[in-house]
Amino acid sequence: MSAPATHLAALPLRLAGVGKEYRVYDSPRARLKALLTGRALHRSHWALQDVSLELARGQCLGVVGHNGAGKSTLLKLICGTLQPTTGQIGRSGRVTAILELGAGFHPDFTGRQNLYFGGSLIGITHEQMAVLEPEVLAFAEIGEAIDRPVKTYSSGMTVRLAFALVTALEPDLLIIDEALAVGDQHFQKKCIERIQRFRDNGCTILFCSHSPYHIRQLCDVALWLDHGRVMELGPTEPVIGAYEMHTRLLDQPEAPAEPGHAAMIVPTEERPAGEPPAAPGPGAAAASQEAAILSVEIAGLEGEQEPRLLASRDLVATLTVRGRGAERPNIGFMIEQSRGVGITSLATHEEGAAPTEVAPGVWRSVLTFPELPLHSGQYVVSAYLFDASGLAVYDQWYQFLHFRFVTPTLMPGLVKLPHHWG
Amino acid sequence: MFKALVTECRQLWRLRGLLAVLARRELGARTAGSAGGWLWVWLPPLLTIAAYYLLFDVVFGMRLGAGAPTARVGTYLVVGMLAWSAFADATQRGMGSLLDAGSLLHKNPLPPGLFPARAVLASGVVFAPLLLALLPLYMGAHQWRAGVWAVLPLLALQALLSFLLAYLLAILAAALRDVAQGVQVLLSLGVFLSPVLFPLTLFPERWRWLLWLNPMTAQVLGYQSALLQGAWPPLAVWLALLAWIGVLAALLSLALARSRDQLVDWL
Repeated sequence: MSAPATHLAALPLRLAGVGKEYRVYDSPRARLKALLTGRALHRSHWALQDVSLELARGQCLGVVGHNGAGKSTLLKLICGTLQPTTGQIGRSGRVTAILELGAGFHPDFTGRQNLYFGGSLIGITHEQMAVLEPEVLAFAEIGEAIDRPVKTYSSGMTVRLAFALVTALEPDLLIIDEALAVGDQHFQKKCIERIQRFRDNGCTILFCSHSPYHIRQLCDVALWLDHGRVMELGPTEPVIGAYEMHTRLLDQPEAPAEPGHAAMIVPTEERPAGEPPAAPGPGAAAASQEAAILSVEIAGLEGEQEPRLLASRDLVATLTVRGRGAERPNIGFMIEQSRGVGITSLATHEEGAAPTEVAPGVWRSVLTFPELPLHSGQYVVSAYLFDASGLAVYDQWYQFLHFRFVTPTLMPGLVKLPHHWG
Repeated sequence: MFKALVTECRQLWRLRGLLAVLARRELGARTAGSAGGWLWVWLPPLLTIAAYYLLFDVVFGMRLGAGAPTARVGTYLVVGMLAWSAFADATQRGMGSLLDAGSLLHKNPLPPGLFPARAVLASGVVFAPLLLALLPLYMGAHQWRAGVWAVLPLLALQALLSFLLAYLLAILAAALRDVAQGVQVLLSLGVFLSPVLFPLTLFPERWRWLLWLNPMTAQVLGYQSALLQGAWPPLAVWLALLAWIGVLAALLSLALARSRDQLVDWL
């Protein structure tokens, strides 16, 4: 997390005791009165307190925390759109923020006019933009629509143009708020590849997300904020582990029926726990030629009544997916208690496994849990389809199948861990 | 005392290229989608000038009494109304500029002063050429006297005055939205509390001091002196202008210092 003192001046990002106070007034009149008289008529709300960190070139920091933890305030302070109340922020080099893409576009102006205007807002001169324009347009895949008013664009076209614009110049510090990728699968892939290229070239990244999965995938260090204070800061796994533990403890007394924040929650299409996906299954997948989960079969399920009983001692899941072009996709699988916590989540790219191509563009993995080491209870499974890198989530069937499992045992518990008696 | 304002002005100078882009875009946004384009920006003030001249000077041939800087009513009105329209346009657009730019300021680390400055610059692009166009039209009436060139420093001072006032009002409007409505009422009344419609000498002498509470009184008197008489405006005009600029600069600097950490939060 820290660099030798001699290199402090060259650090892309350094925060020392940074705090941000929001002044809350009882009414706008009180705000005006305070402005005119200089009197303190406010209540203080400290959105951030005493945040200190240093990021070296090439480091990637993931910021996690619940709503109201201070993540967005931290990003805005680092971007420079907000001023810190206490402490100091040091930035060096070009800072690019991927916040609300396309929010500054004027609907009556053409894509090209917005491109040049947007460029001037982030420090790209007209001359520089003239040089960058062909590459930006090629990346955004806007085509001839670039000379049409932006109000005629689809939301996907707008964010594609905006992403291509803000990442036209390689930054020294890249700030990403939530949206790791935008647009359709094809463009998501391009976005992720561009971000990874920046990272490989030594760009420092600050990534704010509710997705522990993506933080683990992308970041080498993590910061957990809670009510504006630093709870933990350090290597990713211990910090994210502590954050997930805290989340589970918070969820338990209030919502015991919820499965909690599982390890593989993805931000692309979050659903309330227990709610089935909008349209999972072969029917939905067949309607499109995009990468998708085609089928998930669990062997040994018996009975008509839901949830069905897993009669087999082994849990064998056969997952069939359609990939994107020639790319070999990755497949993930998660088991949770139906009314409890997450139990395990696995993915091929995490374990060095690879799906097998069973037909052109169709891939399959068979996942076996021999002698399923669970106690009796009701469980729910989810399936995920990732790109080759494991960063882009192409498709997910979240909590799509509940099943019962019965195993005779005298002892209470959830899972039988591998063990031996000495 | 002026530290916050000086810092802001330095940033504006550093970002002058972006300021020009923003002003062009504001003017472009006003005419976006229209076939007439810039014609619609200049047509209303041009029609106002033409209407005053034709109606009061040509059709009715109305004349002002002794003590007025010119006898012809239309000629008199054009100078004051053009300056007042420029001031009112810049002030109103500048006052709303921070609220309008809220989403941009939340996402881009830009100095807030860019936006009132943009509004004043855009208004200047519309009205300054019209005021300058009066030079050759009016110079003939007073045998090309040198005082007419006072219009140039007067224009520069009006731009500065408008920026300071617009920025101050923009901060106040960010704190309390009602400020915008209040200022609109004051602008409607202000034209009557200035020598725009009537010469200063027509106001009762004991109430004449009220007119000097209007920041545009000195400005309008200056334009009338330069354009209608070809005379360099008297010292009192310049002193009053500088006093207004000084007071507004002090108030703006104070407002900037008090709102520095919170201004973007209010938008």
